[in-house]
Amino acid sequence: MSIQEQYRKKAAELLSSGEVKLVIGYGSGSTPDRRRALFARTADDAALFHVDAACDANLSGYLVNEGLLSDKKKIGIFLKPEGIRSVNILAAESQLDPDQIVILGFTEENGTVSGLQGTQASDFTSLMTALKENRTTSEKEQALVDKIEAMTPQERFAFWQAEFEKCIKCYACRQVCPMCYCKRCIVDNNQPQWVHTSSHTLGNFEWNLVRAFHLSGRCVECGGCDRACPVNIPLRLINRRMANEVLDAFDHFSGMNQNQEPVLASFKKDDPETFIL
Amino acid sequence: MTKILLRDKLDDCLTRWHAAGFDVVGPVRKNNISQYATVKKAGELDLGIILPDRTLKDLFFPQTEPMFSYRISKQKIDTEEYLPPGRQRIIFGARACDASAMAIDDPLFGWDYQDTYWFKRRNETVIVTIACTAADEFCMCTSLKLAPDSTQGSDILLRPLGDNRGWQVEELTDRGREAFSRIEALLEESPAQTAALADVPIKFDLDLCREWLQNPENFESHFWKEISMRCIGCGTCTFLCPTCHCFDFQDEGDTYTGIRRKNWDSCSFALFTMHTSGRNPRSTQSARWRQRIMHKFNYFPGKFNLNSCSGCGRCTRECPVDMGIIETLQEITKLSQ
Repeated sequence: MSIQEQYRKKAAELLSSGEVKLVIGYGSGSTPDRRRALFARTADDAALFHVDAACDANLSGYLVNEGLLSDKKKIGIFLKPEGIRSVNILAAESQLDPDQIVILGFTEENGTVSGLQGTQASDFTSLMTALKENRTTSEKEQALVDKIEAMTPQERFAFWQAEFEKCIKCYACRQVCPMCYCKRCIVDNNQPQWVHTSSHTLGNFEWNLVRAFHLSGRCVECGGCDRACPVNIPLRLINRRMANEVLDAFDHFSGMNQNQEPVLASFKKDDPETFIL
Repeated sequence: MTKILLRDKLDDCLTRWHAAGFDVVGPVRKNNISQYATVKKAGELDLGIILPDRTLKDLFFPQTEPMFSYRISKQKIDTEEYLPPGRQRIIFGARACDASAMAIDDPLFGWDYQDTYWFKRRNETVIVTIACTAADEFCMCTSLKLAPDSTQGSDILLRPLGDNRGWQVEELTDRGREAFSRIEALLEESPAQTAALADVPIKFDLDLCREWLQNPENFESHFWKEISMRCIGCGTCTFLCPTCHCFDFQDEGDTYTGIRRKNWDSCSFALFTMHTSGRNPRSTQSARWRQRIMHKFNYFPGKFNLNSCSGCGRCTRECPVDMGIIETLQEITKLSQ
């Protein structure tokens, strides 16, 4: 039985037995190559789920939609490893109770999907360790990263200036991100107005820099913001760089488990102090 | 015999228009995005695309626009008004959906006050539209009772020739005729046949949708919750919509000195209707999506006898969660049958 068939069956069982009230997965999209979030409430709905290489969205952000988990009932959700890491962070940051989340995990490699063993976020600890040890970047991606790293600060500034000039402040990057669950984002605060709301170059820089720092040590590199950006700013490169920084400086790989302390909101006595003169 | 403009004369046209004081703007792909931008040479134009990622409205109603600066001292308040630079422009290679959107927004910006910024730019711009010979699965102009060769909002309509060597010229307005009189010598008389227009299938029944939306019973329909459940509340559909026109004012600076700006706003944002008291009459994403659909296909037509949508399909094409107007109006059509 294909992983898709297995998971349709599993989702149908979860729903018909009443173990979960809802399963969040992937359904058909508006074109054959698109998949979109599907919210299944009945066993019949579960027959519409897809599990294939086109299922790229990290659906975990839907879990923190206002009130969804407040009745203490369980929810099933299709997640790739990055999504499971997001659940761990949301649990660590007290945004959800991981016991309410039943995971239908899968992973994709070279266009082929395979299922992951386990149903609770805590079942995937060894997978997280493996992911931390084997961080990979595609050759094409690495070439771009190397090119940017080799730039002088002036050239790099010009590169990002050209990218951020395209920003229209639609906040798709924020809205699609499971880590952006703040009830009121700092850019939406106007007393004081910390960040310019205008979408001019300065305002766009401020927004993207604030976001980069806020996601440092929290981003799981699911690529959601990068795919969502309607003006094609390569946001993944920023997040990748920040993830590398916290890994190098603090040996912190975000979303390892649900007890992980947020790296920028905690300290250890042996934290490097290279930035203190 | 009709007038035609050959593709290989385009550089000469640009030279003449530049000499006559026009900026020339057209679809350009730069930095991994395509948008209408100023060009010096015809070779910079990207005319082979279905439509640019960004819309024509950017050129008339930019995402942020300074209105005036202020300086408050003990004795007086000084202000300096900013107006768009007075440059004559020719937009070469607009799409019919984008040009139609300008005609849709004209009555809006001239309704309760004349929007100086909008009309100054409108009056300084000649829109040369090229009819579409190709469409993708998200194009829906025909569902909006428009077409790949709609003339609304355009000053000139160019119909591609069958052999792709150029375009048949249809002059629609005096402004268009004036701009094309500058290149009269470059045009030719020719019996050349025009290419077949893009085939854009009708995707939903607009009249049935309007009827359904007008029925007060459907305002609280569970449909709105179901259809918008995966909406993440970003501004992609609004900001890439050629007709969406909502804006917000922002004072940048402090109490004594600063700039007032007019910035795009979106009904998808939770903050859009937030009251100072903290109450939000549209407190859920489904209420916000309903407003977006109601405004475009019920309230706006009620007021201006026009739909606030020209069928470009960007809302659906670019939506991060694969939502958009097409699916919603298709579902409403089904509900109405």
